[in-house]
Amino acid sequence: MSKADAIVEAGKTAVMQNIQGTLELLRKYPPFNQMEQGHLAFLVEHCKLRFYSKGDSIIKPADGPVRYFYIVKQGQVVGERPHSAKRGTETTFEIEAGECFPLAALLGERATRTEHLAGQDTFCFLLSKDAFVQLMARSTPFRDFALRGVSSLLDLVNQQAQRRAVETLGAGHSLDMPLRGLAMRKPVSCLPATPLRAAVKHMHEAQVGSIVIVDEQSRPKGIFTLRDLREIVADTSADLDQPIAALMTQAPFYLAPDASAFDAAIAMTERHIAHVCLVESERLIGVVSERDLFSLQRVDLVHLARTIRHAGRLETLIALRDDIRRLVDHMLAQGASSTQITHIITLLNDHTVCRVIELTIEAHGDPGIPFTWLCFGSEGRREQTLHTDQDNGILFDAQDAEEAQRIRTQLLPLAHHINEALARCGFSLCKGNIMACNPELCLSTTEWRKRFAGFIREATPENLLGSSIYFDLRAVWGPTEGCERLRADLLAWVADNALFQRLMAADSLRHRPPLGRFRDFVVARRGAEKDTLDLKTEGLTPFVDGARLLALANGISEVGTLPRLRALVGKGVVDALDGAAYEEAYQLIQQTRLQLHQTLARADQAFSNRIDPDTLNHLDRRILRESFRQAQRLQTSLTLRYQL
Amino acid sequence: MRFFPWGNRSVTPELTLEQGRRLDSLRALRPREDLDIREGRMVVVDVETTGLNMQKDRVLSIGAVTIEHGAIDLGQCFECTLRREALPGASTLIHGLGPEALADGDEPSDALLAFLDYLGESPLLAFHADFDQRMLTRAFKEDLGYSFQHPFLDIAELAPLLHPDALPPRAGLDDWIAYFGLGVGQRHHASADALVSAELVLMLFNHARRWGTQRYAELGDQCRHWRRSCSAPGF
Repeated sequence: MSKADAIVEAGKTAVMQNIQGTLELLRKYPPFNQMEQGHLAFLVEHCKLRFYSKGDSIIKPADGPVRYFYIVKQGQVVGERPHSAKRGTETTFEIEAGECFPLAALLGERATRTEHLAGQDTFCFLLSKDAFVQLMARSTPFRDFALRGVSSLLDLVNQQAQRRAVETLGAGHSLDMPLRGLAMRKPVSCLPATPLRAAVKHMHEAQVGSIVIVDEQSRPKGIFTLRDLREIVADTSADLDQPIAALMTQAPFYLAPDASAFDAAIAMTERHIAHVCLVESERLIGVVSERDLFSLQRVDLVHLARTIRHAGRLETLIALRDDIRRLVDHMLAQGASSTQITHIITLLNDHTVCRVIELTIEAHGDPGIPFTWLCFGSEGRREQTLHTDQDNGILFDAQDAEEAQRIRTQLLPLAHHINEALARCGFSLCKGNIMACNPELCLSTTEWRKRFAGFIREATPENLLGSSIYFDLRAVWGPTEGCERLRADLLAWVADNALFQRLMAADSLRHRPPLGRFRDFVVARRGAEKDTLDLKTEGLTPFVDGARLLALANGISEVGTLPRLRALVGKGVVDALDGAAYEEAYQLIQQTRLQLHQTLARADQAFSNRIDPDTLNHLDRRILRESFRQAQRLQTSLTLRYQL
Repeated sequence: MRFFPWGNRSVTPELTLEQGRRLDSLRALRPREDLDIREGRMVVVDVETTGLNMQKDRVLSIGAVTIEHGAIDLGQCFECTLRREALPGASTLIHGLGPEALADGDEPSDALLAFLDYLGESPLLAFHADFDQRMLTRAFKEDLGYSFQHPFLDIAELAPLLHPDALPPRAGLDDWIAYFGLGVGQRHHASADALVSAELVLMLFNHARRWGTQRYAELGDQCRHWRRSCSAPGF
């Protein structure tokens, strides 16, 4: 019997205890917790355990192609790269217990680009490359993880969120769901010549609220709903035998069946419609109604938007704020993405702002001067959460300075009432007085241009701060042309001024992601904020600032952070993979922030953006850390681009 | 096969022909002491016994872990429970091996042959090595008629030698585990104890290399020296 055979023989019962212990240890972490027992045992049996004292080099570029897959058993591994601009080295990542490295180098059959050092006394499991390859072939979760790295863990988070949603609702239902799956029934349709009476009979029999009028080729020509019928019946002279074509709403709104439930919800909310046709290759294949979308939700987005838009009194709007809060709560529980949620909050807030302006004008009299209500900051970027300050202003047209002064005097009292009314609706008054009732923010187009040009010409700290707020402007109410012209000027000026760009870049580096050298997160050390970090200023702001700067410098007129990133990728300014990583990271931090707000609200605690990372579970914590790492990468790319 | 005794029953324990052949081939092993701790194969062992009396008590289970090329090889762990007459006593509470587990164990001679086979020519390490060494030597003698000569290094000596001011003298395995912040699965299980001892050894070897000590035998000499200086009068 050879020695190896003898070991196998002896090992039949013997290996169990220590292998078992290691299995249990690994099973605390993804992806190992998803792997089959047999595959995990294969992994453990092929592992070596090695110790590295703090500061020891584990792998370095000079070692040549990587030979092992490493799993940290205990301790911490840090990555160090020579600092790009300054002397010395910078920590590019920290790897903790349960995490693995260096996947990219191992799969790419190359040396690592970053030296991996033990940040503390550390034990690592080493799996030989051969065993790693065999395991990839055998275990699907392991292969997914190896090929997609942390992204595959993101799916895990989404799965968890959806599972939670299923638990809440008793059925799988997500706003990401394609519409194809929602429109279960054959669409109810008729030809244009059908008499109204016959069409309504058809609707009644099928028990639906709408009928789509199609031509011989099934191409949708119009839609007729119960709401339309109500109007016709109210008009006693209506002829019930006239063809439906004369009464239908022409050219109905439609989406492709692959569009998501979220797309339909947004379309319904924006357009005040209750039905969306599904069209594939020009043919009608289904209809999705408001009821289909929200059958499982207690608060109905479309209905809510409509109620806001038609609210007759300010008190109604104030009361509706609770419904908005409930809706957000519900969407979050359903696993809606943070982008979807902030988008919906902004949409509903826009409706509220418009209605508040209209009601205020009704109550205090129309000044008779056309004006545009502008919003700035997160509202401008459509990234609002439930806790939001007012950041608004007014733009109007005036011939000269004198007329501008006269109009301002007329508009300011109205602006004041609007700001007050918005405050009563839950939009707290801006501490920095960035509000339309501030004479400095109730300006003519010429005055706004002058103000913006000044920001760019004289980049003082106050002006840089100002540009980070005002340059994210958007028209909420009133004519939009003035606002767009202003933006076009702004883009031209910034693109022309390399110095301003550089100063803006330097300014954006003030908010550093909270990642440190020896602890994974850097948290406040003392005071009430001890052990916490700020998800907004430390996590989101780097992305927001970076995207704004690059967008303005490259003539991109989008205002939201994610649309800006996508446009930058489209223009080739940002690498597609980087763009996707930034987007993912930004969304995750925002999601964590929304969940924090929700938790605080439930516990009746004061609103805050500060979180103690130790309160997160292992997976969330790790993903949050990866997200901060992306913010760090974005900042590093800015330092290179602008040679800071 | 069991009915063919090997040699004189009164002097040498009863072995089957097959066992005898295996033992003969293993007698040729020449345990090595002269190896580099960064490369050579060493075995960290822990035995559980019926008690602490080295004359009377018996080995119940053996757990061992291999260190080779400076790493613990999880594919080369050894563990066995020896079939013994049930002697439920106080130590059952410590080692956790109940009469059933012991009755399920391997024939002691088979278990020891397997262990010797696993060990090969590798030198050993153990925490309070004197105890493990004596218990194993007696078991080898009684159950196999084999004179166990493999060298041992005592981790309980190595640790204070390399970290003189870390802990008070005569600190136990638990103290060192706590001092180095090691995680441990199930203490007082031969395998788990061997593994955590082996982790401790990796840490100590890492330290020893910084001192410039790279050979197993050299560490043995230093331990002996350390032991003498400890027992020196007035020390």
